Amino acid sequence: MHRPLGLQASLPVRAAVALVVFLLGGALTQPVSAQEAPAEQEGAGARTLVVEPAELVLEIGQAAELTATILDAAGEAVEAPVMFFSRSRRSLTVDREGKVEAIKPGTFEIVVRERRRRAGENQASRVGLGERLSVTIPVTVKLPDLGSLELVADPNAAVWTGTTIQLEAKGTDVNGAARAVSPTWSTNPAAVATIDDLGEVTIHAAGPFEVSAEAEGKRAAMTLTAAANPIARLVVEADNAAPKTGDVVHLRVDAFDAAGEIITDVPVEMTFRARTDDHLGPGASGQIEPIEGTARAWRFVAEQPGRYTFVASSGSAAGRLGAVATARDVAGKFTLVGHGRVDDTHTSDLWVWEGLDGRDYAVTGTWGANGDAHFWDVTDPENIERISTVTIDARTVNDVKVSADGRICVLSREGASDRKNGIVLVDVMDPRNPKILSGFDDSLTGGVHNVFIDGDKVYALSASSRYDSIDISDPGSPQRVGTYKVERPNPSIHDVWVEDGLAYSSNWSDGVHIVDVGNGMAGGSPDNPVKISSYAYPSGWNHAAFPYRQQETGLFYVAAGDEAFPYGLNTEGKPTYPRGWIHFIDFSDLESPRECARYQVPEAGTHNLWIEDDVMYVAYYNAGLRAVDVSGELMGDLYQQGREIAWFLPDDPEGHIANAPMAWGPQPHKGHIFFSDWNSGLWAVKLER
Amino acid sequence: MIASLFLLGAGTLPAPASEARLLVAAESADRVYDVAFDGAALSVQQVVDVGYQATEIEGPHGLTVSPDGRHWFVSIAHGKPNGLLYKYDAETHELLGETELGLFPATMQISSDTGLLYCVNFDLHGDMTPSTVSIVDVDGMVEIEQVVTGSMPHGSRLSPDGSRHFSCAMMSDELIELDAVTLEVVRRLELTDGTGRRAGGGHGGESSPSTDGRPQHAAVAKPTWVQPHPTKPLAYVALNGVHQVLEVDLKAWKIKRRFPTGRAPYNLEVTPDGSRLVVTYKGAQAVGVIDLKTGEELARIPTSRPIPHGVVVTADSRFAFVTCEDRGAAPGAVDAIDLESLRRVSSVDVGLQAGGIALFPATERPDAPSQR
Repeated sequence: MHRPLGLQASLPVRAAVALVVFLLGGALTQPVSAQEAPAEQEGAGARTLVVEPAELVLEIGQAAELTATILDAAGEAVEAPVMFFSRSRRSLTVDREGKVEAIKPGTFEIVVRERRRRAGENQASRVGLGERLSVTIPVTVKLPDLGSLELVADPNAAVWTGTTIQLEAKGTDVNGAARAVSPTWSTNPAAVATIDDLGEVTIHAAGPFEVSAEAEGKRAAMTLTAAANPIARLVVEADNAAPKTGDVVHLRVDAFDAAGEIITDVPVEMTFRARTDDHLGPGASGQIEPIEGTARAWRFVAEQPGRYTFVASSGSAAGRLGAVATARDVAGKFTLVGHGRVDDTHTSDLWVWEGLDGRDYAVTGTWGANGDAHFWDVTDPENIERISTVTIDARTVNDVKVSADGRICVLSREGASDRKNGIVLVDVMDPRNPKILSGFDDSLTGGVHNVFIDGDKVYALSASSRYDSIDISDPGSPQRVGTYKVERPNPSIHDVWVEDGLAYSSNWSDGVHIVDVGNGMAGGSPDNPVKISSYAYPSGWNHAAFPYRQQETGLFYVAAGDEAFPYGLNTEGKPTYPRGWIHFIDFSDLESPRECARYQVPEAGTHNLWIEDDVMYVAYYNAGLRAVDVSGELMGDLYQQGREIAWFLPDDPEGHIANAPMAWGPQPHKGHIFFSDWNSGLWAVKLER
Repeated sequence: MIASLFLLGAGTLPAPASEARLLVAAESADRVYDVAFDGAALSVQQVVDVGYQATEIEGPHGLTVSPDGRHWFVSIAHGKPNGLLYKYDAETHELLGETELGLFPATMQISSDTGLLYCVNFDLHGDMTPSTVSIVDVDGMVEIEQVVTGSMPHGSRLSPDGSRHFSCAMMSDELIELDAVTLEVVRRLELTDGTGRRAGGGHGGESSPSTDGRPQHAAVAKPTWVQPHPTKPLAYVALNGVHQVLEVDLKAWKIKRRFPTGRAPYNLEVTPDGSRLVVTYKGAQAVGVIDLKTGEELARIPTSRPIPHGVVVTADSRFAFVTCEDRGAAPGAVDAIDLESLRRVSSVDVGLQAGGIALFPATERPDAPSQR
């Protein structure tokens, strides 16, 4: 509601107001409401903004015109300026005269707003923003009518009694665009075949039958002929009849007719029964899935120990095979070795390396603080010693990396006082006396969140959509030599890791990208990065990626970690409760990456990770450090399978936030696992198995 | 007084002259501070955590308060990759809505003419390509348009009647005027240091325009702020790179006067009575007060901490409030400066890298130049 508006009579005129509704292009087939949409002001002298029509229903491509009239208290039209705008400009446009054009189907809003009169000399008389007249016009842009309906079946699908086939109804609108439909399905005769609401046909008897679908007055039909299923016997084989939980069992089936001849072209289904040894209560027992591209082949994983029976069926024939899964029994433990406390601020990433003098060193960054990077002597992990600190102009040194030769440390910079950020190169040949060599901020001014060193190249993220390869062969004068940009709408890169000339970037909703930056398999180089594969998952939480070529199987996985804070971050005083997990993506076939497994600790969230010798070390924020057995082929829920080996909670009563584990990143080094914790600094533990 | 503001609804109860309620953004702490000034001293009343990706600094940069004082808005600079605009209830600090803008959205203001919010997308990532101004319907929290302006646009300010929007393109040395209703760029003014050097590295007539006709970096003048005069057809532009403030004749659309300043002028504000200009000198740890009649600097007042950033002036033209970023882990600060005695009278520490500042309206006058 609105308060009285003063000085109405002196309002200047800015726009002519049309008073007639135009139907443009003759295409408006739906009558628009004649009802007016008024916005009124209260009290004496109140005025009303009337917009006609009060709502619109349009077809795609159709146009209509809105007219706006401001009435005074006596109901007389006064000329006063109004403006029009769309709240969904990519789906519905409106010009300054009120002409509306429909682009996409949906429900949208056009706002008609009284402009304020020109003023400046008498500001005090002007009313507040809330007193302006404004009307919102709902606009419905209809889905185009369905033009045609077509039934689609797998061209290789054979129709045999006792089996099923899947049909799909494909709709096309009158404009030729694909259109989702929800058809009504039927078959005739039903004695031969029936169909469910999802389009799956079950064949009951041999003979011809018709399948039809109807939607929005359109009908499509297909005639099929079912043949008698010749399969009389099914034989199930497995490559492992005594798996441990988490082991992937490969199943195959041979089908025979009554004469003992092998039958190859009739579909066979596979499922399993489970009788688990789970004494803790019901839970998922196992998981089975067909192997893409291989006929009559499946992979299965037991997540609980117990007895499993694999059942293959086709028509009236069935075959069975039993297996007993035992507990994986990989439990070990982490033993605390040493702790280098940082209690005056938050700690970020770490790097551990052997120095030129043969001693072992670590560097840790700081978060939301003074731009410090701390250097540690970790030669004796039981007595971690902070030996020096480099301070740069930054609030957060989020990432720290050291070159393989132990000479150069690169610090990422965010929150610089000059807002130029970029990276800083530090001479760490003597980590007790580190020396700043140079900075590089060209086109990295928005802040660098993560870096990686590969040979004499640094890969540094821009906070927007790319990473740059920067030559540091002359560390006093770094030079950009190349850039990789995620070519997607609204791209965003968070992290990059380089191994064997391949860069693995983590890109939130754009997932993991693998780029040839010198491997050569795609002709890439640091100055000519070439994308070779990618995989994205729906949550959009992709934050870190670690490649792992498994020696035993030859499989090539990328472990992609999430980061998510649905309950916020407590920077002082109390713990934080992140969420997220590790996604295992099988990149063995770079053209067809496949997400195959996850590791998820309930009620906690992942950060950085490292895989070495079939063990994954995950800094799992509030769940501390975790070690996970990632040997063999991976499938399903690794946590449920008992693949977790050990965990360690860095709860430090003297931490920056006391007793609040927030593990940031791990790195195995010479038999110990070092990791940084956001609230308590640098830790060293040993994994005992 | 402050308690009363909260009880009765800060947006509906005007504060007496020389009392003020401020918002200050700590860019490297992801926090907004609700600060009170009682006529003598500043005090932090409440701290609001802002942002969405907890362990990354997202950088709340620009702040503005709706002319009716009922809502406040903060731009979040870092996103994936685009930044965001958040809308809060001014009384409860409840987050009411958000919308995605462009790269590194920064300063903004709401037009009293259109009711729309205009926010420059500063694009601090070093792309050096023309960026945009986002125009937002703050009722629906919908970006209704993005208009391409210049490289690293900053200093989003509207004419007193709200019909014209001005911004500076820091790295293409331009002042750009936008029609706030048609949302079209209507005029561009090349900003120079007065010596003939031009953006793009050229000299005199040797500028090297980009393919779209706009000058490229490297910028010379580096304009960082523009503020129209409250009653006259003039605007003032801070040239951060050459330590000048320009007076631009908006009718003739040309530079009228140049005022030498302290090192690296950054933000500025014309006092509502139109008599003075208050300028933050980012490189001099000071604030300059310039008499607009004579063009003389009346005073250069040291700030409590280094790197002064934003400035707002009370509606009675009596006090200026200035944010100071400082460096590293040192807290930011807000200073109160008495424009009569030309002295700093109070300071209060806030979070890291205090930058954006906004003043709640003290009167019903909706166009008070009160947002930063």
